[in-house]
Amino acid sequence: MEQQFLFEVKDLAVKYPNGELALYNVNFSIESPTFMAIVGPNGSGKSTLLKTSLGLIKPVRGQVKVLGYDSVRESKRIRKLVRYVPQRDRIGLSVPLKVKDIVLMSRLLKKPPPRFASSKDKEIARESLKRVNMADLWDRPFPELSGGQRQRVLVARALAGDGPILMLDEPLAGTDHESQDMIVEALGDYRNEHEVSIVMVTHDLNPIHTLVQDVLLLKNTVVGVGTPCDMMDMELLEKVYGPTARVIEYAGHRYCVTHDSGVDRHH
Amino acid sequence: MQGIDTVLHTTQELIAIIDLLIQALSVPFVQRALIGALLIAVVASTSGTFLVFRGLSFMTSGVAHAALGGAALGLFLQHSGLVPWFDPILGALLFSVFVALVTGYAGETGMTQKMEVAVGVSFALSMSIAVFLMYYIPPTQVPQIWGYLIGDILLLDNFDIVLLAVTAIVLVLITLIFNKEFIYVSVDMEGSIAHGMNARAYHYLMLVTSALAIALATKAVGAILVYAIMVAPAAAASELIKSIRGIFIAVFVIALVSELMGLVASFTVSASPSAIAGILAALSYVVAMQIKRRRDRVSIDLDQLPQHDEEATLVLGEALDTSAHEGHDH
Ligand SMILES: Nc1ncnc2c1ncn2[C@@H]1O[C@H](COP(=O)(O)OP(=O)(O)OP(=O)(O)O)[C@@H](O)[C@H]1O
Ligand SMILES: [Mg+2]
Repeated sequence: MEQQFLFEVKDLAVKYPNGELALYNVNFSIESPTFMAIVGPNGSGKSTLLKTSLGLIKPVRGQVKVLGYDSVRESKRIRKLVRYVPQRDRIGLSVPLKVKDIVLMSRLLKKPPPRFASSKDKEIARESLKRVNMADLWDRPFPELSGGQRQRVLVARALAGDGPILMLDEPLAGTDHESQDMIVEALGDYRNEHEVSIVMVTHDLNPIHTLVQDVLLLKNTVVGVGTPCDMMDMELLEKVYGPTARVIEYAGHRYCVTHDSGVDRHH
Repeated sequence: MQGIDTVLHTTQELIAIIDLLIQALSVPFVQRALIGALLIAVVASTSGTFLVFRGLSFMTSGVAHAALGGAALGLFLQHSGLVPWFDPILGALLFSVFVALVTGYAGETGMTQKMEVAVGVSFALSMSIAVFLMYYIPPTQVPQIWGYLIGDILLLDNFDIVLLAVTAIVLVLITLIFNKEFIYVSVDMEGSIAHGMNARAYHYLMLVTSALAIALATKAVGAILVYAIMVAPAAAASELIKSIRGIFIAVFVIALVSELMGLVASFTVSASPSAIAGILAALSYVVAMQIKRRRDRVSIDLDQLPQHDEEATLVLGEALDTSAHEGHDH
């Protein structure tokens, strides 16, 4: 069987209308299926890369292919395959949507209007909420939840959808340890049970490094790409996080210390 | 003796007022005003609610004043003989849609701040055009322009009613069919596009239909009432009510009640019904804010408790539960 690539990125450059060059000279490819993390500091172009791959932003140079489809010409195809959760602060809170409505979004958005939820849709939504331990909040207004609870509901939204690729922009931002573990476990379990690829943006590799197969280190261009093991490299981390980054070898384990992440034990 | 006299007197007065109201109901212009009030309330509960959800309530005033500028341009074209067939309402609709498109374009990325600027600029532009053209319009026609600003729900003609009715029906239909799309665009534009929904089209559909509705409502009852009725009830309801359907209903009720009270009051004291309705609608928002503030204070107090004593909150929680049940029994 021919090898499929989740991402094939060639010579990619992305510029915002204000002249900000968010990505340049980006080249990498990742085989599918995978659990992939995109790591880098604020403003390193992580969100931009996801949005470009979905055709939300057009590159000024080069191209992105997602499962073989070009992000500009075949964005319609890609959008059928992907379940996307933007960064939490991109979700408007002026509408009192219920938790269930948020989770159902990923299913209803792929239907034609009037987008009625079938009982199967509701069942899947409920199942997904259970995976992140949020089923009790089914009828609660989403804007009234705490930040971490909202994050979990958004992860459930991705789990409830259809399509072989989940793209999550910082699903761990602003969550405590308990929520983090819950989200990471839910994603890991889901991936074991389903034929999907998961791509997640994060500042911090540590909570997910045992699950992740591919890591992309980004700082407006590719600093490194490989297994989590390869990325736990002093020189690479220094390039991304500056001279305060540390990798500590202790009792046969490698630990990675950055301002963003605290300590990471690595096997 | 004197006491009985006063009582008698007030009763007589009351009867006279009720009599007047019942008589008023049979007068055609009052009937038109009542139907108009109902239709405006429908516009408020559909367009007004979506605009508040979208964080764009200020677009209402931009569009309403653009309608005024457009009407001025229409009158100018008509009376200068440049384009004799150009009805002022055409100008009003054109300008309103223009403002909606500019706003929509600025906001395509979902950035409300940019939209605010766009509305501000087009607001200034259309008011300037209106005032500028006023010098070139025959003085007898100038009041027609001011009508767009101040308006009078008691001066509606049959054509106004027909226009408003068509607007309200179209708005209700569009809302029934596309409410999920409009809500998704407000909540998560990026995610909606990424899942393959044509969010951009719905974004413009919502803004343009709202703009047309606002322009027609402005012609009928004036920019000031439109602004008050479109914005304040929706803002008040969305502060307090936690369900989308509940908000639609509450907005309709607040808008209708304010307008009806405005009309009734205008028969008894000499005041413009629009002004009174506007004041009442604005008051609804003030009241909603007060209620919300009081509610927030209570919930914060409850939230802080667990840090002090787990058991105390449990007991308190149960006490609250039982008192809530008792409240239902009475
Ligand atoms: N809409 C925009 N307009 C202009 N510039 C932008 C826009 N969005 C992002 N940028 C710029 O592009 C660069 C990359 O931004 P991006 O949001 O992709 O970073 P990120 O890695 O996701 O950061 P964070 O960790 O803060 O989410 C930044 O320098 C940012 O200022
Ligand atoms: Mg980001």
